[in-house]
Amino acid sequence: MAEVTEKPAQEKKLTLKDFQSDQDVRWCPGCGDYSILAQVQRVFPEFDHKRENYVAISGIGCSSRFPYYLDVFGLHGIHGRAPAIASGVKLANPDLNVWVFTGDGDGLSIGGNHLIHMLRRNLDIKIVLFNNEIYGLTKGQYSPTSVIGQVTKSTPGGSLDYPFIPVTLALGAETTFVARTMDRDPKHLQEMIRRAEQHRGSAFLEIYQNCNVFNDGAFFQFTEKESRADNVVYLEHGKPLVFGKAKDKGIRVNGFTPEVVSIADGSHSVSDLLVHNEEDTTLAAILADMTRNPGLPRPMGVFLADKRETYDAALTRQVAKARAGAADTDLQALLDGEETWVIQ
Amino acid sequence: MGELQLMKGNEALAEAAIRAGCKGYFGYPITPQSEILEYLSEHGPPRGMTVLQAESEVASINMVYGAAGAGARAMTSSSSPGISLMQEGLSYIACAELPCLIVNVNRGGPGLGTIQPSQGDYFQSTKGGGHGDYRLIVLAPSSVQEMASFVFEGFDLADRYRNPVLILADGALGQMMEKVTFPAYDPEEHRILKPWATDGARDGKERRIITSLHIQPEKMEELNLRLEAKYNLIREQEVRFELVEAADADILIVAYGLSARIAHRAVDLARERGINAGLLRPISLFPFPTEAIRALAERVRGVLVVEMNAGQMVEDVRLAVEGAVPVRWFGRMGGIVPSPDEVLQVIEQMDGAPQETVAEEVYQ
Repeated sequence: MAEVTEKPAQEKKLTLKDFQSDQDVRWCPGCGDYSILAQVQRVFPEFDHKRENYVAISGIGCSSRFPYYLDVFGLHGIHGRAPAIASGVKLANPDLNVWVFTGDGDGLSIGGNHLIHMLRRNLDIKIVLFNNEIYGLTKGQYSPTSVIGQVTKSTPGGSLDYPFIPVTLALGAETTFVARTMDRDPKHLQEMIRRAEQHRGSAFLEIYQNCNVFNDGAFFQFTEKESRADNVVYLEHGKPLVFGKAKDKGIRVNGFTPEVVSIADGSHSVSDLLVHNEEDTTLAAILADMTRNPGLPRPMGVFLADKRETYDAALTRQVAKARAGAADTDLQALLDGEETWVIQ
Repeated sequence: MGELQLMKGNEALAEAAIRAGCKGYFGYPITPQSEILEYLSEHGPPRGMTVLQAESEVASINMVYGAAGAGARAMTSSSSPGISLMQEGLSYIACAELPCLIVNVNRGGPGLGTIQPSQGDYFQSTKGGGHGDYRLIVLAPSSVQEMASFVFEGFDLADRYRNPVLILADGALGQMMEKVTFPAYDPEEHRILKPWATDGARDGKERRIITSLHIQPEKMEELNLRLEAKYNLIREQEVRFELVEAADADILIVAYGLSARIAHRAVDLARERGINAGLLRPISLFPFPTEAIRALAERVRGVLVVEMNAGQMVEDVRLAVEGAVPVRWFGRMGGIVPSPDEVLQVIEQMDGAPQETVAEEVYQ
């Protein structure tokens, strides 16, 4: 009898349409969230996961409407609690490809606590934080990333609250993958989603996102084509930090302090510039800290891509070890123990 | 008298807080009450009030805990999901016996629910809400005027009894505009001594510690008994309700807040049709007007409870009526507001039904 070798059925190749739900997208016209959704839908089909293994989890806010629009299983949870909910999902079924979609309000105010603890555990979960520096859903109050002096409905005299730098917070929380991108650079946004996907462990991706109704133009100097080249430096592993319309400027580190130098006027050359290394936690911190200096270009890209065992992998290993070491014991024998006696 | 103004319920409440001498407001945006935070952010600081948007409702209630402990008039406001987050803090504040004001502009639940008006938080508001044996004094406004008036009354009650006071409104009362008159109110005249406050060890004061921990069971029971005695005093002294056409009523409606306004209209419609309907509107939900309902139950043919929930206050009404007459319930949920005609239909059914039939309907 001839042996029949069965060729596994070719998995249907996923397309953008597979990730578009039938829900009407209810963000304000012109919102930066549309671009993020479009890039996620464009990139998700490339990944080596079955569609049924994708999960989208969110809390409360404009960003948190994401699970309705992405045609995968989802969980629209509680304000700020998405990282905790996602932890439960991932630990219940480690095969799932878990993505958290959150914002600066949801993720960094009430959710700050859950976020930092999920990140430090290094659960294999991707967290995408849409930063628009405002509360959009409740119509325009300041958020934990709103800038000092920002006038909002709850800060008519200007905000006194010192803001978080999300990538710095993530690095401080021992996150193994930290990156930043923007809604108006679709190619880079797509690339950052790919990089987050490739990372094993907690991947934190901040996206500068324009809220054109309550905080229009918050990031325009970084996101608009005419000003971007002079105000943004793209981080690429192993490459020097060069920027500017004419690629004529670069970042040099003087001690621990980054500074802008010209590589066009003969004073400095490319070899003087800082070379990015994604695996260097100290460098990541210096680069993230550039965010607070308005005289420096804003770094975009992967700040850190470190390797550390994930919590879910460690847990699985620990459970397997405990099981292997456990003798096949009879419960009754345990209860009876070695010394038993009968009271007459 | 004060000046007459046209205001949104949330804004009237916020303005009243400033006039009542509230020194600290701590809140977090949530629909349908963000106007309280926004109004106070704009008008509070120039008039001597600290206004802070916290990182969460959990933080808000704990900031209130601190400010109240330091002896200041302090308040927070939120809507249902945010009030759920405050329950831990409220339990501690009630145990530590600190005066403060909490405002719940109720929306439909459970969960994230809707942003439309609801009365689904009655149980949470009146039965404790957090862990342990404690009560909040709960005032239920049914107009923009009362949204404002109850702030003054609420702060005075909180100070008098060293107990948190909750104003339980709903999304419609927060958002609607009506005329409101602010009473002449001088916070200085209402200021009372707070010999328990942690307001600084000046003038050789003895050390004060605010706590809710009483690890010895005897001490804890002592505190429980003292709290119960206080709640009983509140039950004796602070019951508030309004009667509308109740004196000769055959059918008595019991409804609070927005439902009471609808029920009031339904009573008028019923009277036009020759049905003697009346209304008892509980204003204080804790303490509940048990005695007043019990007394009226002796004289009416039936009682109808109208609520925007699945039937919560009806349990307290049944306890008050003690089976003297049938008690029916009618309500809508999910943020849907019942219409006076819907309520009228139930009144007409009750009016036409023989006594026994009405009784059966209650317990099916």
